[in-house]
Amino acid sequence: MDIAFSPAERQFREACREWLRANVPAEHRPLNAVDALDFDKSWQLRLFEAGWAGINWPSEYGGRGLTLIEQVIWLEEYAKASAPWIGANFVGVNHGGPTLIANASEEQKAYHLPRILKGEAIWCQGFSEPGAGSDLAGIKTRGRIEGDEIIVNGSKIWTSFAHVADWQELVLRTEEGSEKHKGLSWVICDMKAPGITVTPITKMNGQTEFAQVFYDDVRVPLANVVGGLGNGWKVAMSTLGFERGTGFISDQVKQSQEVDALIAKARANGMIRNDVVAEDLATLRVEVSALRAMTYRNVSEVIRNGQPGAEASVIRLFTAELGQRIERMAVRLMGAEALDFHYGVDNPVSDYLRGFAATIAGGTAQIQRDIIGERVLGLPRMR
Amino acid sequence: MDLAPSEDQIALCDAATKWLGQNMPLDGARGRNPALFDEMMAMGWIGMTTPDIGLDHASEALVFIEMGRCLAPLAALPSAVAARWFDAPGKTALAIPDGDAVDDAVRIFDGEGATLALGLWNGNAGSIALPGGLPAGACLDPSSTLAVLNPSPAPMVASDGRAGLHLALLAAAYALGCAEAARDMAADYAKLREQFGRPIGAYQAIKHICADGVVRAAVARSQIFYAACALDADSADAAYHVAAAKRLADSAALANARDNIQVHGGIGMTDEASPHLVLKRAHLLAFVAPVATRVLLDAVLES
Repeated sequence: MDIAFSPAERQFREACREWLRANVPAEHRPLNAVDALDFDKSWQLRLFEAGWAGINWPSEYGGRGLTLIEQVIWLEEYAKASAPWIGANFVGVNHGGPTLIANASEEQKAYHLPRILKGEAIWCQGFSEPGAGSDLAGIKTRGRIEGDEIIVNGSKIWTSFAHVADWQELVLRTEEGSEKHKGLSWVICDMKAPGITVTPITKMNGQTEFAQVFYDDVRVPLANVVGGLGNGWKVAMSTLGFERGTGFISDQVKQSQEVDALIAKARANGMIRNDVVAEDLATLRVEVSALRAMTYRNVSEVIRNGQPGAEASVIRLFTAELGQRIERMAVRLMGAEALDFHYGVDNPVSDYLRGFAATIAGGTAQIQRDIIGERVLGLPRMR
Repeated sequence: MDLAPSEDQIALCDAATKWLGQNMPLDGARGRNPALFDEMMAMGWIGMTTPDIGLDHASEALVFIEMGRCLAPLAALPSAVAARWFDAPGKTALAIPDGDAVDDAVRIFDGEGATLALGLWNGNAGSIALPGGLPAGACLDPSSTLAVLNPSPAPMVASDGRAGLHLALLAAAYALGCAEAARDMAADYAKLREQFGRPIGAYQAIKHICADGVVRAAVARSQIFYAACALDADSADAAYHVAAAKRLADSAALANARDNIQVHGGIGMTDEASPHLVLKRAHLLAFVAPVATRVLLDAVLES
């Protein structure tokens, strides 16, 4: 075991730093959704043109073809440079793209992957439904096959970026009468297709980042099925696998910066003299350090075995709950100023309110604990 | 960067786990044959980082985690540090001073057959010579004896600050061993014990307690790996990373040990069953190289 990076890796890190120093935009990512979309797209294109998009994606689809270590180094430096959140490109870059790399046909990959990397195509996710949350296999949105098309009817919910997306990774029931995880398919759905209605949902921090999507006889070409008809559950699980394993590295660097900023703030406003505050801040700091160590361990395992271990769900759960503890501390250190929050303000209160999503989206904390209990410890299933 | 154990390290660990399972099961922590300690010394497990054996802190920590899981003797911790930094081979007892003043009392654990004891004074490793004929009293951790020296003899303090970090790291490894032992004991029992017609581990209320034990142990293990590598690399922030590892391992050990008793229910609170042995060891380890909050908040980290 070794925490030192090789000379080539250190050189790569230096190149990341240099480029970021010269290119990170001075202005913040706009709050307004329309302006934010333009901002996200042009920033993603700049990343692509400079060779920083898809660092560990295959080079034939526009990536750099480097290892996960270079990807980690890039994400660490990216966060340290306070580069903007990739926003609307998040789903394509972190979920859709990696799923296509693992499961899609040559044609699908050749068409979609470069467009994702260039910020030309915005993706959204269509997994949860009003009646299928933690019990994701209870999906009811159905696809009837007619010739070389699938006719889609139903509804998806909690879909981030649905209002600006070009494509959706949509999981639906293509086998009539099938149950649970059988008979599902993972398809690429054109969000501009006739019959799609997007109804925005406002979160409790006032922001409208997600939506409910309705499908009324929406036609999806059969050629858009990824991984074969009826294999949707397996393909969907590979997406969640990416999300749980290695998709959160820049969040973790940001958490480390946030905790150090909170310690500095508590020193400045004197709250650090309160032993309870000092103790809690110290705990947050060591937990953030351990999270980085755990991520490095996970990356080392992926490089050795080609897959994140079952413990990837541990990282997912720990990151989510740690993030919430940090957000709570940030609000605590604001004192009564926290009460000045109102919709349209972007401050720690807004992050705190948004942060409730972390233990709900992509598998609740309770589902994560089920997975850990059953897959890591081998405890019996109730379901 | 590689934070996964190498093939050699895995082989070393497997050999340790096998020997410990056969010779030093956890439920025999009370009244162990003193010859087992000598056997571990003879196999080279105590003093692995001395120039003679020349292994790194990471390899040593991996073996100490396995030893910790079996509640191996406490004296292994100070003995490994004394062999590396005080040129003192053989068994060294564990010293836990009452305070940092030199004339405060000191508690000596697992001291039979030892002529030296080693502990931390003001964060620095120090050794004291033990008088002959020490009483072998009982203490919270039933695997160990206790003698109190009041006042403490003046310690001879190591000139190298890494000696103290070495003791803290090994104590963290032992604490993680407790956390993992409690985690596995709880899960094994939850698979076996049936109530309302099912194994209790099928119920989320129990399953989630067990899952939290996995998370705590994984967090502490990762930080211990990182801290061991930082100590091996002599990084400027090694002291912080070791302290962080100790803090996380102690809280994992205590929380998992308590949860294990709860999962066991009635039998868990008896003298006969083993869960209390882990809890008591975890409490003792928290007093070995305790971490000051200041150290964690003030450290400047390499980026």
